[in-house]
Amino acid sequence: MPLVNFGSILGFAAELAERDQAFYRSLAENPRLAEKAALFGRLAADEKKNRELLLRTRRENVTEMILEPVEGFRREPFVGERGEVGALTLPAALALARHGEEKAAAFHAQAAAKLSALPEVARALRNLAKRHQARLAELA
Amino acid sequence: MAVPVLKDYIGGEWVASLGTAAGEVRCPATGELIASVPLGTAADVDRAVKAAREAFWEWRSTPPLSRARYLFRMKEVFEEHFEEIARVLTREQGKALDESRGEVRRLIENVEHATGVTTMLTGYGLEDIAKDIDCQAERQPVGVFAAIAPYNFPAMVPWWFLPYAIVSGNTFLLKPSEQVPMTQARIFELLDEEVMLPPGVVNLVNGAREVVNGILEHPDIAGVSFVGSTPTARHVYARCGATGKRVQALGGAKNCVVVLPDAVLDKALPSLITSFFGCSGQRCLSGSILVPVGAAYQPLKEKFLAASRALRVGDGLDESNQMGPLVSAAHRARVLGYIEKGLAEGAELCLDGRDCRVAGYPGGFWVGPTVFDRVTPAMTLAREEVFGPVVSLMPVPDLAAAIELVNTRGFANAACLYTQSGPAVREFKYRAKPSMVGINLGIAAPMSFFPFGGAGHSMFGDLKAHGREIFQFFTDAKVVITRWL
Repeated sequence: MPLVNFGSILGFAAELAERDQAFYRSLAENPRLAEKAALFGRLAADEKKNRELLLRTRRENVTEMILEPVEGFRREPFVGERGEVGALTLPAALALARHGEEKAAAFHAQAAAKLSALPEVARALRNLAKRHQARLAELA
Repeated sequence: MAVPVLKDYIGGEWVASLGTAAGEVRCPATGELIASVPLGTAADVDRAVKAAREAFWEWRSTPPLSRARYLFRMKEVFEEHFEEIARVLTREQGKALDESRGEVRRLIENVEHATGVTTMLTGYGLEDIAKDIDCQAERQPVGVFAAIAPYNFPAMVPWWFLPYAIVSGNTFLLKPSEQVPMTQARIFELLDEEVMLPPGVVNLVNGAREVVNGILEHPDIAGVSFVGSTPTARHVYARCGATGKRVQALGGAKNCVVVLPDAVLDKALPSLITSFFGCSGQRCLSGSILVPVGAAYQPLKEKFLAASRALRVGDGLDESNQMGPLVSAAHRARVLGYIEKGLAEGAELCLDGRDCRVAGYPGGFWVGPTVFDRVTPAMTLAREEVFGPVVSLMPVPDLAAAIELVNTRGFANAACLYTQSGPAVREFKYRAKPSMVGINLGIAAPMSFFPFGGAGHSMFGDLKAHGREIFQFFTDAKVVITRWL
């Protein structure tokens, strides 16, 4: 599905954050992954904050002067299938999480470029891209 | 399922209208009936004005900072309910959800700007204007003000006036458009439930022509703010003059967007598309006439047509769409009538939006992007406000001819210029009559802290909406000259 404007990009970003929050929460609650429960719990909490930040960014930065069409940007490359997580081993869970973080980092970096006309929005998206990138080391 | 029947908000209570007639509110994307709106009478206006008058003195003597605190609360409430308000707006008006969000943002910006009342309303004084005589100028609230709002910006336009009127110490009556009354109904519910202004400070009366005339003729209304078509703006201005009211009446537009050969077309194109097709062309700042200068014509026409064809038209609530429907079946018929007239008068139809269909929405009021070329200054398309996604291409040889075209439309609301030339920009902003000028942007929309309004047939009155001068509209300058004997 194409991401054609400011609202659809920020809405998709918030949707990704919500999805990641649920994913990390399910990992945190999985007894097989207890060794990393604190890490997964923190990442779930961070995603909740990220979603709130994205919704606030969308609310506070929308302006009719620059609601211009966006071209060449789609959701599909950034949506990963995660499937059933209950049976995952810790290495598999960490690999799956890293894969999601790589996609999220790429999405936020590209979204920042697409919305470069809105500096505050672009900055927020770039910061999120950095945060997702930084998580790769934690999830190694 | 029964549709909701809207009520009036008078003296802090939701009350049934005294009018017996009703209008239909239809979702423009589906054609579905979503509410019934009472078409009130002058008696409803009178009832609201009485409540506003009763509230006036106590509210007027409330310290400005205390009045501003209600506005701070409004901001919080509107932020909390931001998405909900935007969705109500899109459902009843049709515009894309992002456009509705932008509109709610503008509403909030007006609330934010109005909280500066303690700075904006301060007076000035001078000692010893004559021997032992001092002089002080103060700004005082006037009484009951009313606003009559249009259908294209149901959330924002009433709030170009309401927050400034009440924070200045006046009380207020709003008549929303009978075509899109649900957004303000929801906003007034929030004011009632969560802001809790003293009863009578803000009032809402639903209706159409009878309510408008009830407002214009009411002897206890001190001033009227109007936004709508030019013929109605003219009527409002004349009646307010006759009845001794303050008035600011903002009318229609015929905005030219001039593109010089040195414009960076690829960068300009997205904002050009938004200018002409944003809100489906139903805004007084929309581009209507696209004016390529000299060699700009061919590349601009090709690129503009390609981008126009690529626009996704559909339900504004679906964020994969970029342009929504027109507000009503009647307005759709009106816009289609202009397209027919363009053809009949000999303009060349390059992109035809008449047969626009959206899968799954057979009842929607759709008109797709439409582009005419070879429009001449005498044609109807070049002279009248279409208020739809219809573009008239009118190439001219040079900047002087472009400015001539801009200045002979009668309307003088907005005009935009795309160029990299500083001298051209200076010439354009110096000579163009429209009051709102955009340079390398397609929608010259002043934010709440700058004045909004046009010239020529686009505005009747002198003090414009929001900006600094709005505080003058809502207050009287009282001068006190003092000598102690």
